Amino acid sequence: MEDLTKPTAGSKPQDYSPTMNSPSAERGKTGWGVEDIPFPDGVAYIQARWDLCIGCGACEIACSMFHYGVINRELSRIRIYRYQTPLPKSVQNVCVQCSSEERECEKACPLTPPAIYYDAELSHMRVDIDRCLGAECSQCKEACSADIPSFYPPSHNYSIVCDLCEKKGKRRPQCVEICPSYALEFLKPRFPQHLERIHPDEKAEWLSKRLYPLAKDTIQKPLKDIWES
Amino acid sequence: MAELNFKMLEVDLTRHKTNVIDVTEDVRQYLGGRGLGAKLLWDRVPPGINPLDPQNILYFSVGPLTGFLGSVVNVSAKSPLTLLRGQSNMNGHFGAEMVYTGYNGGLLITGKSNKPVYLLIRDNDIEIKDASHLWGKLNLETQFSLKQESKKHLGDQNFRVASIGPAGENLVSNADICHDFYHHAARLGMGAVMGSKNLKAIAIRGTRPPTYADPQKIFQLLTTFFGKAYPHKAKDRRWGHTVSMPRRYYEGMEGIKNKQMGWDAICDLSNPVLLEQGYKVWNDSCTLCPVSCKVPYMRREPPLGPCAGELRHDNAGGWNANVMIPGYETQVYLTPFVDNLGLDNEDVSGVVAWVMECYDKGLITRDDLDGIDLTWGNLEAICKLITKIAYREGIGDVLAEGLKFAPQKIGRGTEKYAMTSKGVAITSYEPRGSISEAVELAVNPCGELHGGRGHPQRVMLDSLTICTFLREPLREVFGDVAEWGVAMLNAACGWHLSKKDWADLTHRVALMERCYSIREGYLPQRDDTLPNRFFEEVIHNKYGKPLVLDQAKFQEQRAFHYSIYGLKQDGTPQREDLVRLGLDFVIPDLERLLGNLD
Repeated sequence: MEDLTKPTAGSKPQDYSPTMNSPSAERGKTGWGVEDIPFPDGVAYIQARWDLCIGCGACEIACSMFHYGVINRELSRIRIYRYQTPLPKSVQNVCVQCSSEERECEKACPLTPPAIYYDAELSHMRVDIDRCLGAECSQCKEACSADIPSFYPPSHNYSIVCDLCEKKGKRRPQCVEICPSYALEFLKPRFPQHLERIHPDEKAEWLSKRLYPLAKDTIQKPLKDIWES
Repeated sequence: MAELNFKMLEVDLTRHKTNVIDVTEDVRQYLGGRGLGAKLLWDRVPPGINPLDPQNILYFSVGPLTGFLGSVVNVSAKSPLTLLRGQSNMNGHFGAEMVYTGYNGGLLITGKSNKPVYLLIRDNDIEIKDASHLWGKLNLETQFSLKQESKKHLGDQNFRVASIGPAGENLVSNADICHDFYHHAARLGMGAVMGSKNLKAIAIRGTRPPTYADPQKIFQLLTTFFGKAYPHKAKDRRWGHTVSMPRRYYEGMEGIKNKQMGWDAICDLSNPVLLEQGYKVWNDSCTLCPVSCKVPYMRREPPLGPCAGELRHDNAGGWNANVMIPGYETQVYLTPFVDNLGLDNEDVSGVVAWVMECYDKGLITRDDLDGIDLTWGNLEAICKLITKIAYREGIGDVLAEGLKFAPQKIGRGTEKYAMTSKGVAITSYEPRGSISEAVELAVNPCGELHGGRGHPQRVMLDSLTICTFLREPLREVFGDVAEWGVAMLNAACGWHLSKKDWADLTHRVALMERCYSIREGYLPQRDDTLPNRFFEEVIHNKYGKPLVLDQAKFQEQRAFHYSIYGLKQDGTPQREDLVRLGLDFVIPDLERLLGNLD
């Protein structure tokens, strides 16, 4: 049983050490097969297993909570796209920290040096939030084949991309921690092919084709086609 | 900590006007969801009106916890099926999306449009748009075209759509509201009320989550829950909610052949393992729920064509042995067929089972059914009859009135075969199998909902709008409902509730609903009962155990249930409770109907 009377941390976003940075057993995930996969050092990325995504959106909340201390999925760096394929299916969309040749967002940025760039020391994408031109520019979003950089013009008008929850050199992706169906993994890329930059529309279409080969807009024949043919 | 404000959006379809109302005080009293719905019905709907009158309201309500724990939206209106308080829960993503528009007090629809319209809500832009191109379309087609339109014109594909099918347009009493094709506000004819307002669909998208009082605390609770809830409900995750069915069939807790039998060999085919192996596609969940119990199914082979949908205990039980359809094979087809027409699977299967028995006994002839040979388990005949009901053709026009009025209209002694409580069909439950379930089915002031829905704690969950299937995992992780409920409410809204306040809230929301139904003509002593068949005919379950309800024992159990609900022996509320809970405004009306409450 959880002690609900415990005082909580202050209102500012701080580290979530009591809940999030502990090993699996302390978070309640116990038993065979749920041990933590050792987190990689150096170059790493978040692998989205979109066939396992159940679309609950917990990752979005964990992300916005870690970075901004609010519950707001518009501020999240990982986004869930929900499709009717026609069966409802959700897929995740998150930056995969492309290798240097394929970093289209960096190349597309009109500023020199680019406001969105790869930090080789910390091994993740970074955005210079003071210089970024915001939603009016959106060059990086258009260049990315998976449509990943996002903007939230009302309060955070700069490109929002995944930074692997890096804080003072420590990385602990919160979306991976909270995902209830183990659909997100924090991995070291073994092959460049692992880094999939697939638009969520395409992901959903592939899944639906693979799992049930139907025409896109029919799920059921009209009655008269069945009984009166 | 700043307290959370609750705003309700009122859309007047008669004058095409919108209005934002602050309901913070009401939410403190009734929480939202089912509780606030009952209060609004009492305040806004004149007594004794026709539910399809423009004066009826349609209230899509969410609770203070919706948007970070589950995403249930509760739909309230006066029910055309029972003429009592109508409400139905719809899971999915609609509720969370509604909270994120900033209207966390719900969406109230009043009046009646003079032409078909749909609502497009994006944060505070509310548009009432022409829906003549959608009118008459099936549910899936409607949702598809609305999603594509919003993606094309607004560049946003995350709109969530709730729509009605042809049945709702034709004001069929048990029409439902469909969202994402397999989430439904199915029961008690909410779709007919929506259709009576000429409202085809609601597309909603929000980007402004509420500023919770203590997001840190909320997130801590949420993380704990997500971490620890995973092992629970593993069966439901794998097999969906059909998992309980074999056991229920063995013990005689599921209806067979319109409640004529306690066991039949075809029940053995209702095996969730066959369903999983044959038809399961993947798992899906509602917004912010770790249980992910939605298990969509599809089938590809002829002759029935490709189709998909979701089976759970209620629709599966209804279309299973109750109409003598063997196994899940045909149901996997039938369920989406009915969903697409916009009918409540559970209720319409009860109507079909009733017609089948009357046809079997010769009370309804083949001519009455326009040549349909409605024998037990005849899929083709069932599909044709359902289509007739949805479009109100021929006998469908009478059957569309539901089990309260259709038996009266047809007469000829068919009334005694209608398995109903207050007009709502009892389909997948067999009351003789379990006396406590029987009483729970009987004492609900809204009519038979799923077992136990009338219990004050369940009313409370519906008012917070927490899904029924989150109840057990929450209890196992956090303990008693009062504990986690108080902790979460205080963290979210910045209130300072105690356990005593929680008990009062529970009592208040449960009483409010009962009082509204009493005002509309519900008499607990008279109406909280079950058809005579359950007291007279003996059935035998798989193990040969005879099952029948004993009237005296039933009365005793019912009185016991009233006492744990905090009611008098005859099921009416006590005056001192009403006064103490601030419900004194209902006393004059109740005393006019029931006599002195003391």
